[in-house]
Amino acid sequence: MDNSTPGMTEMLIKYMDGELGGRERQELEQRLTSDTTLRSEYEEFLLAREAVGQYGLHQKVAGIHQQMMNELKTPVRKISKVTRIIRYSMAAAAGVLLLVAGIIVYNNSKLSPEKIFAANYRSYEISAMRGENEQLVSRLEKAYSEKKYAEVVNIVFDRPYSIHENFLIAMAWMELRNTQKAIDQYKIVIKEAGPANLLREEAEYYLALAYISNKQYSLALQQMEEIQKKPAHLYYSKITPTFISQVKKLNSQ
Amino acid sequence: MEVSLKTADADLLRELRSGDRIDVAIKTIYRSYFDSLGWYVMNNNGSRQDAEDVFQEVVVSFIDLVQKNKFRGESGIKTFLFALNRHAWLNELKKRGRTLKREEKYNKGQELTETNVSDVMIDREDRMQIINLLEQLGDTCKKILLLFYYDNFSIAEILDNLHYENEQVVRNKKSKCLKQLQQIIREKPELKQTLKNLLNG
Repeated sequence: MDNSTPGMTEMLIKYMDGELGGRERQELEQRLTSDTTLRSEYEEFLLAREAVGQYGLHQKVAGIHQQMMNELKTPVRKISKVTRIIRYSMAAAAGVLLLVAGIIVYNNSKLSPEKIFAANYRSYEISAMRGENEQLVSRLEKAYSEKKYAEVVNIVFDRPYSIHENFLIAMAWMELRNTQKAIDQYKIVIKEAGPANLLREEAEYYLALAYISNKQYSLALQQMEEIQKKPAHLYYSKITPTFISQVKKLNSQ
Repeated sequence: MEVSLKTADADLLRELRSGDRIDVAIKTIYRSYFDSLGWYVMNNNGSRQDAEDVFQEVVVSFIDLVQKNKFRGESGIKTFLFALNRHAWLNELKKRGRTLKREEKYNKGQELTETNVSDVMIDREDRMQIINLLEQLGDTCKKILLLFYYDNFSIAEILDNLHYENEQVVRNKKSKCLKQLQQIIREKPELKQTLKNLLNG
């Protein structure tokens, strides 16, 4: 039942919109703590505002969605028979050229663990929350987000490290180019994280890269094959046949 | 594709929070992550259309969490989007009466690095019901409320856009529309709970 007066309803709206000041605001806040009907009405206004926000966001994304879907889809166009023959011929010629160029490039450039590592490694970034959740970010996480990697690996807690912290220590070792320490740390993450923890999948991929950097190619290949067995793995699409064959080549050198 | 993008997680979050460059940020999310997230849906009994629908839902939920400062960012955007995508698609499969055995196993004792995904992501049906709430209002009401509460226009700016007589008329109209929406919400207790969850997390 709505016991509030029209004037009071207007006050609630003004209060929600941040347009009520001074004494009026204080009085209303007092009434809201003691009058459950009024508080309930105020909550309904908050929910109405939330609904508007949700609608606005949905419309915003929907407006861009179709545009992006069109951009991300490979356009399929009908082409004439003659055009198709010309295109095939040109594609074949370009293919031969590319092959020749590829052989030249291949002969001139030697495969190295550094090159493969650099092509597949991406720094892991975290963005610490501000405001209400700031207290949830540990000292270690904060240091990592500020890229103070030497500090990250030297922080000692008198409590167990979280999986996320262990993962960040591993990543910090990677950034410091101490791959052996990173390997040890990734193994801890993989051991401690449950099968559904996505950090485990992150650690599995970075462990493979650490092995490559450390020239332990057989172990890297084992790790990559494990990822390849799991289509739902975060990095499944990164373990391409080319990537694997490059590591195999390094292994046979 | 995602590796070639220059926009780091932190920049993307800043753009999503600021609102000024939100269109650019949304496009970055699509260009960076649709391929891999869509791939997951399409390789787990989903069609291209399913992948597109789920991704849109994921993007809306993600932006909402970022704007409400509920995304800590500790797991990275990519990891978190994967978790949302996985959750949304498994939920959809459940509704269709199909579940992936592998995922059922995964979901037991699930420990995600961020807040539990099921707590922060609402069902597609629930979201559509919220959208329908606004559709029950007239076009003018919808426009005024969106301009004020979503686009953060002042009453004076709304007056410029909608050509009312004066600011007081706009203010009265806005109040009337909000009360109308409040009444519609009052009559839908289940939806009230969904909105409360969205509001309070």
